[in-house]
Amino acid sequence: MVGPTVSLSGLRRADGSASYKCPVTGYDVLGAVNAPVELPARKDALRPEDATIEVFVKPGNTTAGVGEGYVESVLRSVLGSIVLGREKGFPRRGVVITLAIIGGEAVERGDSYLTILPALLHASLLALISAAVPLSMTFATTLLAVTPSGQIVQDPPVEDVANAVSLHVLAFSSKGHLLLNESQGRFDFETWESVREQAASICQGANPRGSDGDTAMDDESKDGTLDNFIREAMEDHLHRVYSWKIESN
Amino acid sequence: MSREANLSVAEREFVLEALRQGQRLDGRQADQYRPLSISFGEEYGHVKLQLGKTSLVVRISAEVTKPRDERPFDGLFNINVELSAMGSPAWENGRSNDAEAYVANVVDRVVRHSNALDTESLCIVQGVSCWSIRADVHVLDFDGNLTDAVCIAVMTGLQHFRRPDAVVRDGQVIVYGIDERVPVALNITHKPLSVTFNAFNEGKNLILDASLKEELASEGELVIGINNGGEVCFLSKFAGAPVDAHDIVEKSNVALEKVKEINARIDKVLLADLSRRGKKGMMEESRAENDREIDSRTTTVV
Repeated sequence: MVGPTVSLSGLRRADGSASYKCPVTGYDVLGAVNAPVELPARKDALRPEDATIEVFVKPGNTTAGVGEGYVESVLRSVLGSIVLGREKGFPRRGVVITLAIIGGEAVERGDSYLTILPALLHASLLALISAAVPLSMTFATTLLAVTPSGQIVQDPPVEDVANAVSLHVLAFSSKGHLLLNESQGRFDFETWESVREQAASICQGANPRGSDGDTAMDDESKDGTLDNFIREAMEDHLHRVYSWKIESN
Repeated sequence: MSREANLSVAEREFVLEALRQGQRLDGRQADQYRPLSISFGEEYGHVKLQLGKTSLVVRISAEVTKPRDERPFDGLFNINVELSAMGSPAWENGRSNDAEAYVANVVDRVVRHSNALDTESLCIVQGVSCWSIRADVHVLDFDGNLTDAVCIAVMTGLQHFRRPDAVVRDGQVIVYGIDERVPVALNITHKPLSVTFNAFNEGKNLILDASLKEELASEGELVIGINNGGEVCFLSKFAGAPVDAHDIVEKSNVALEKVKEINARIDKVLLADLSRRGKKGMMEESRAENDREIDSRTTTVV
């Protein structure tokens, strides 16, 4: 399978940015992060010890509607749990995440927004890394569809989504915790359990954690997992950012 | 924050003094655009444009709607300019600002009000259904002269876009998917573009395509919307230092030359992209002599 394509820090004006393109669904998401920024005095900035996270999703060829509002709230809660908003310089400031869907089919009014959620989550995570926002962990996320015959399909194409009995988006943190579970459609607990197992193996490989709870850095079973993909994108980025330092050693 | 940070006194003075000596910050001539690059995405009407360090994406889309009651023969056409924090940290998400209103207004006047897109050709059934064409502008990086960049990108997008074919049969409208029938190009009546000049030093210096720093030090803008035939369809000098009438006449000649240059450039990239698509088999696939496979999946009856 062809993996997604990412590139970091492509934009000049934003503090950090990332583009994420999924070859199966065709979604091309561009994420920009500005942080920390001064926020006008607002009600939601009343938590004086923490940073405020703002997410804005700009659809490709429609005006933002209910669907965007829904993914924005999902993104805000997931990213809120990994951004270290109490680090120095961040309390009472804003972390503004802007996501523009610049390629791929539009999500039709009334269609499920879960299909694009993984792309949006990955794009915003990589943009946060590019902006050097302190994070407690990274995550990997995937979309799974359950077909009428009970098969579980990863990153289903558009036709399969329309026919699917249920759709599930699951995100796992780099420490192996389940960060997000958004499901839609009819399913029973057994189906969900097998979906979760498959999602875990897609995101983290067959054996996600060693017995001591540490992630193994060079475990071969992790090759090709999404977690590894995010890790490699980060490594590439850091290598480029610190090239001056590596050169001088 | 809703405005770009002002230049320092020293920076502003540097820009102005350089212009007095006939120099620009990036070494360009007064009547020279920054390097322009236009590329296309996979779908029709997806344009990526880069003008110097200003970069943006335009996506054109079409859907079938009901025409307005007072204009039953006309289709709809809208240009949607929404500036987000991606382009510049000075722009706040979900809140319109002066820059947005200004750019949207100028582009609307130059492209839409000059009838560059023939909206009558978008009518399907009088008073019942028509095409609604929508241009969405995503500004990725802002470094001055947004109006010209948006105009060029929207006009390129309109020429690149292909809408699905629709026919009326027994009073029913049938819309064919783009894999089913050769999609139809939009009817472009003429190709107007805006050309923006910025005034400095009490209107003594007028320069083309100002970068952000130059824009911030500028005293006023002169925007000329003009097409290949030399017809001026928009001219604005909203505020700022006065500009000599002679200069306006002279600059509209410069604008004509630039518009011809850019339009030739657009034609070239359009042709290159079209032949690339042709090679990929879209045109080959849709030839009449091929076998027909009828696939009803992409056909929708409205």
